[in-house]
Amino acid sequence: MTYTVLGRCHRTGRLGIGIATFSITVGRYCYGVKSNAGVTVSQAFANERNNALALRLLTQGFTARSVLQQLMENDPYAQYRQIGVIDRSGMAVAHTGPHTRGWSGHVVGENYVAFGNGLVGPDVADAIAKGFLAEPDADLEHRLLMGIEAGRNAGGQGTRERHKAERSAALRVYSKDAFADIDLRVDLHETAVEELRRVWNEYKQYEAYYRDRERNPSGAKGQEEFMKTLRAAEA
Amino acid sequence: MTYSIIGRCARTGRLGLGITTFSLAVGGRCEGIAAGIGVCKTQAFPNRTNDPLGIKLLAEGFLPARVMEMFAANDSEHDYRQIAIMDREGRIAAHTGSGTRGWSGHQVDTDCVAFGNGLVGPQVLAGLIAGFKTRPDDALEYRLMRAIEGGRDAGGQGNATTHKPERSAAIKVVDRLDYPDIDVRVDVHPTAVEELRRVLEEFKLYEEFYRERGRHPSKAIPQDVFVANLKARRAQEPTSLPPHALRGEVPT
Repeated sequence: MTYTVLGRCHRTGRLGIGIATFSITVGRYCYGVKSNAGVTVSQAFANERNNALALRLLTQGFTARSVLQQLMENDPYAQYRQIGVIDRSGMAVAHTGPHTRGWSGHVVGENYVAFGNGLVGPDVADAIAKGFLAEPDADLEHRLLMGIEAGRNAGGQGTRERHKAERSAALRVYSKDAFADIDLRVDLHETAVEELRRVWNEYKQYEAYYRDRERNPSGAKGQEEFMKTLRAAEA
Repeated sequence: MTYSIIGRCARTGRLGLGITTFSLAVGGRCEGIAAGIGVCKTQAFPNRTNDPLGIKLLAEGFLPARVMEMFAANDSEHDYRQIAIMDREGRIAAHTGSGTRGWSGHQVDTDCVAFGNGLVGPQVLAGLIAGFKTRPDDALEYRLMRAIEGGRDAGGQGNATTHKPERSAAIKVVDRLDYPDIDVRVDVHPTAVEELRRVLEEFKLYEEFYRERGRHPSKAIPQDVFVANLKARRAQEPTSLPPHALRGEVPT
């Protein structure tokens, strides 16, 4: 009961995760992304240790394929896991264990993995990939969000008869720093994908302001003053 | 316009950070926490490079006070930053630069440090510390939550005439693993502290289920069944059954 897109921007090398699921606070599982190393998510019956191990292996220079193999050899329950990995070169691989529940599967191409479990069918994974690939030169956060929304629009989680609500969602993108460029979450909500879009639309207006305030504090406007300029621009 | 608490559980050595602010998605700027190493949080006009660097320096073995000196030497705008650092033994260093806006300050106590800027006054820091100390044997995440609520109840952000809303909030707690035990967030909300309490309480109901599902997948019940069981228990006790009761624990 999760659908996810991992992506790498072919222009910039930025790496990111877009994810939505029935479980709450899914963002806490999304620490598996690091600048110039790679990106990974383990889901379904998630092995929470996997992401940290995978990041260390990616940092050491192992390929995505090799990292995935090592994760599986290290886990007696690999058959219950669903794992995606992209390395810094863009090699993308995935594993969907036979014991994950509901319709489960992945679509993999250079620079992306679209994967999920407990979905209404394979068209959800296809739609995520299509959404991600629709605007290949756009910013990665936009592409990841398009992927997730396309997955939702294709039916998302559950069965044809009964949709399962997305209760949490997250969007994380790393560029070159030791901290995330974009790190947004919805932890507990009835329509988390819509809420993630709202959070992103709101946050993106502040993004440049926050960055500039940090770098040039002596010249920074107060946040309320900045918000007045936002409102003026809207009007 | 932020108030925060860094705390350590003396019993378990768990380390945590609780924060709330007017800015959006503050939880996305809280990467400075690592199990068995320490916590570092830079705010006001934050220098984002500080926190990852601080964790590396603490891991090398430098004292928080020494890390702070290195931050000062490494940053031409150090006067605009507000920084608190705690190591795994509970040693603390704090800095409130003269360029931070509104009422700003920090207060250090045993195993905790409260710090904030753009606040109604020093009573907010006292509220944070008092909240943290109310029930010292509780799990660290609850102590951090109570601290934030204590800061809010003491007036929080703004000035004597205008309250500034808390629009985002977060709690993170690390124990011994590579990833946090507790990592709950509210990114855009008109009353983020209240919403964070709601998210935390809900997460605590699922915490063990999620952990066990990952560790013993062949025995895991489907989440639907788990959710239905939760609902049934809530229906039995409609008068807002507290989470510890839902988890089957005896209240202390």
